[in-house]
Amino acid sequence: MSGKGEVLFEIQDLCKAFGSNLVLDHISTQIRSGEVVVIVGPSGSGKSTFLRSLNLLEIPTSGTISFEGKHITDKKTDLNRYRQKIGMVFQHFNLFPHKTILENLTLAPMKLLKKSREDAEKEARELLARVGLEEKAGAYPAQLSGGQKQRIAIVRSLAMHPEVMLFDEPTSALDPEMVGEVLNVMTDLARDGMTMVIVTHEMGFAREVGTRVIFIDEGVIKEENNPKDFFEHPQNPRLQEFLSKII
Amino acid sequence: MEDFKLRFYTNFIKDDRYMYLVTGLGNTLAITFLAVLLGIALGFLVAIIRSTYDKTGKGKILNALCRVYLTVIRGTPMMVQLMIMCYVVFGNYNMSKLIVATLAFGINSGAYVAEIVRSGIMSIDPGQLEAGRSLGFGYAQTMWYIIMPQAFKNVLPALANEFIVLLKETSVCGYIGMMDLTRGGDIIRSRTYEAFMPLIAVAVIYLVMVIVLSGLVGKLERRLRTSER
Repeated sequence: MSGKGEVLFEIQDLCKAFGSNLVLDHISTQIRSGEVVVIVGPSGSGKSTFLRSLNLLEIPTSGTISFEGKHITDKKTDLNRYRQKIGMVFQHFNLFPHKTILENLTLAPMKLLKKSREDAEKEARELLARVGLEEKAGAYPAQLSGGQKQRIAIVRSLAMHPEVMLFDEPTSALDPEMVGEVLNVMTDLARDGMTMVIVTHEMGFAREVGTRVIFIDEGVIKEENNPKDFFEHPQNPRLQEFLSKII
Repeated sequence: MEDFKLRFYTNFIKDDRYMYLVTGLGNTLAITFLAVLLGIALGFLVAIIRSTYDKTGKGKILNALCRVYLTVIRGTPMMVQLMIMCYVVFGNYNMSKLIVATLAFGINSGAYVAEIVRSGIMSIDPGQLEAGRSLGFGYAQTMWYIIMPQAFKNVLPALANEFIVLLKETSVCGYIGMMDLTRGGDIIRSRTYEAFMPLIAVAVIYLVMVIVLSGLVGKLERRLRTSER
């Protein structure tokens, strides 16, 4: 684990183009250990693409990303080993439907961290207890509600002991009454000091839990600030317009 | 009734003629079983190469080779392939007919299995691959632990159907002088000058095998489906 406040991600001039469509246009920023960075912006602004670039689910067209001082955009990086340190939670959960909840949690620790079944299951049950889903260990994903699935997806990532957690619109596919249970888990995680990068439309959450909010529009970081100033004194006209529409 | 008994006797009991059917059935089962194994091995290999190319763009040359294989095999009749295998490929070798037939049917079946399995792989939500990769699994590991088990379950009915077709298709083996079930029945017909008894017997045996196979697949399918509810 890195010390608190240390730079984890150093992103420089990150560009991503799909064909002739430039989705990310020279993005540069840093993410420090212990930060909870919330990324907001209109749909199609490139915020998800930026998040997915951080664990190279999208390969940048140009620019560099370094993690703990190492260039991960370098061809020589062992991507699989790097990704083990970066947890990722998706909008559509992406649980493995052919495996039980317990197997969903133990697969990666057993195969990748070479844990014994016993150890992996013990830890998985502890994680399940942490999100109040202990009794679902033997169930299959299809038997769970959306909110339960997303909580499972979060602890599936945590089972790999990541140093950073990335969240790609984790509550956007949920029924409104299930949003709270997922945000609570994320809030607890933030309180425990986990470094988090979150793309979301939950402005209340961004304001309360975030340590920094970034506004991305047209592939550019138009504004970044602490949550209080970000929401109360937005400078960029596009951000002012965006906030006036959604709050 | 007496007449029926007599016909049954001449067609199956006299001179141990039922042995034509027994030996033929043995050969039919052996060819089918071995060809299914070869077909699965080839089919999965080709399907993985093709879907890897579809998903990542890697393996251009291998993918092109696979496409030629699929086009040729699916574009020509099975019987012609069997005869080419026997009289052209192994024309100058004294190769066992069983091996020749196994190769011909296995290579043929592989082409159909490949497209079935590929459709299964492509039907899996891309999010599954991303979830596997984001946990730190490599491409091959994600395929093996996450994609293939789901794909296999989805295509099982189509796959079973392919093997039932294969079982019946081996009935053209007689063209290369191999005695399979169909040929066995036909030999009896040529001895007794009666078509009804031996050919109906052959048909019933095929039918029973297909019904049993379909039943087994149904059972397996129900077992694999436990995760859906």
